[in-house]
Amino acid sequence: MAEIKDCKEQPPIQKRYEIRDPIHGFVVLNEWEREIIDHPAFQRLRRIRQLGLTEMVYPGATHTRFEHSLGVMHVATRMFDEVVEKREDFLKTELGYQEADLKRDRVLVRLAALLHDIGHAPLSHAAESLMPCNGAGKKYLHTDYSAAVVNHVMRDVIENHPMNRQYAITARDVADFLTGATRLGRSLLWRGLVSSQLDADRADYLLRDSHHIGVAYGKYDLDRLLVTMAVAIDATGSPVLAVEEGGEHAAEGLIIARYMMFTQVYFQHTRRAYDCHSEQALKTLLSRGARSTQGRAAFPPPTARKNVEAYLEWDDWRVMGMIHAGEAGEHGEIIRERKHHRCVYATPEIPSTSDLEFVEELIARVEDKVSFVDRAEESWYKFGDADIPVLLSPGRRDERVRTLSERSAVVRGLKAVNKIRIYVPPAAQERVSAVVQKLRRVRG
Amino acid sequence: MSVEAGIPWNRYGLIAELACRLDGESPQFGKTALQKMVYLLQEALGIDCGYHFQLYSYGPFDARILQDLDLVEYVGGVEIHQSESPGGGYEIRPGPQANMLREKAKGFLQDEKVKKALDRLVREWGPLMARDLELRSTVLYVARDMKESGDQVTREGLLDLVRNLKPKFSHEEIKTAIQELSEKGFLEVES
Repeated sequence: MAEIKDCKEQPPIQKRYEIRDPIHGFVVLNEWEREIIDHPAFQRLRRIRQLGLTEMVYPGATHTRFEHSLGVMHVATRMFDEVVEKREDFLKTELGYQEADLKRDRVLVRLAALLHDIGHAPLSHAAESLMPCNGAGKKYLHTDYSAAVVNHVMRDVIENHPMNRQYAITARDVADFLTGATRLGRSLLWRGLVSSQLDADRADYLLRDSHHIGVAYGKYDLDRLLVTMAVAIDATGSPVLAVEEGGEHAAEGLIIARYMMFTQVYFQHTRRAYDCHSEQALKTLLSRGARSTQGRAAFPPPTARKNVEAYLEWDDWRVMGMIHAGEAGEHGEIIRERKHHRCVYATPEIPSTSDLEFVEELIARVEDKVSFVDRAEESWYKFGDADIPVLLSPGRRDERVRTLSERSAVVRGLKAVNKIRIYVPPAAQERVSAVVQKLRRVRG
Repeated sequence: MSVEAGIPWNRYGLIAELACRLDGESPQFGKTALQKMVYLLQEALGIDCGYHFQLYSYGPFDARILQDLDLVEYVGGVEIHQSESPGGGYEIRPGPQANMLREKAKGFLQDEKVKKALDRLVREWGPLMARDLELRSTVLYVARDMKESGDQVTREGLLDLVRNLKPKFSHEEIKTAIQELSEKGFLEVES
């Protein structure tokens, strides 16, 4: 980390630090952010790979949530600065922002972006099914863990730094920003920079994952997108983050990049098999570790400091060490030896009723041979509430907002993927494949 | 991960069922109205549909509903048309395979508790515009959020938060929605 001279935005005593980044060049930090990054909970992200066991298929995929988190803070800040620079008068006159509000929200956005993955489970998203349910029967998400880490573990480093005196940002403010809690009120406008279809999270991971994996599917024009970001009031009277008309094809580019990355990389059949093996190996480890919630293996719920601290003990190093030591059962061995289960049947990306019935019938016939059924589900474009607002004629009298889905036949044409795959152990592959062929003939 | 097919016929059947029940009942049953109706069914009427909502621009939203809607449209359970109304948007209508999907989900849809809840959903909120559904579902979402955060849900506190989040709704509109929801027993507020 290189220390550099102060910039004019910061008081003279403040130092800035630069971290070299393969995607964005340099990520700039202040002292407060550096202390947050030095916190053990944040350093843990060095031990959480961004893409779990994707390296079993794409050997370059060994990058971590640590560098991604820095990248998200960098991109979210650039987005915020572009919007404010371009629409400062609008923010002040139409939305009632004062200079101090904007400065405070900028800091809040940076902290939330930096900490958005602080509660990530080991082996990436594969472990999320092992998160317990809350009292209402709803499963906790990794965002809930991120908010809990911020609230229970990082309060001191967030609230008590001298740089926070002028902002009075609380750990709860950051946690609420991450979960979208309504008490944040107007500041929620900026949440779209961390959680939306054009957020800094996907803006960063698409480029970063492409770079490390060695594919071009996730590339799009980030610079064009950034210079066309704006804030506006939509047709219903709500303030929204938008992209100017000139950036709508850059926005399409990001949506298509995400579609390509999911279908070509994240949903790749062997990679998905390793998600299932990871989940089962972790389940074995959690059940051995006397952490059981509601009668099943699960992480401790993010409801108290001691639970959060116990949760943070779990990282990829610990899990891989236990797998290496032979403690993770059959699926741990599969991971260690790279002898994954095989896909014997997959529906099309958009299955018909007949395809879905085929899955049910096949499972009924070979249930004892099936090791897991994988559902790769994702929608590429979210209409309605989450549609991307496009700002037409910005700054002119006929300024107005339309949605990207109204204007883009490309995004209208992207249908959600609901691909189902059936996996069996290698020893059963031939036999079950024969059943698949026979069933296909019977069903015509 | 499981060895069950786990195909969510209940969710697919519910979308087809709502399209059938709201055809001719709703002024415009589009994608926003679908989100809000499912939210109200799940959170106000207590029917677990398996969705997890977060607050978005127009109130509670779960992207999986749109994902399910895509599949339901693809298999012919609904038809989605671009609306010709001045506000634009979409209209969701029953498709040729709507009954097939309802049949697949009959164990869920014909459960007495679910049937009663659907009847009440359509009676209470079916005739409302998406904008009105947005306000009512947002009020319920904010009240639940306040409760879960350990805050006291007072009438004034709730009104202020909703007004702050949704400046497009007038003080009077929000007040009326809170009054209506609490009178009907969907909302508990302290004076």
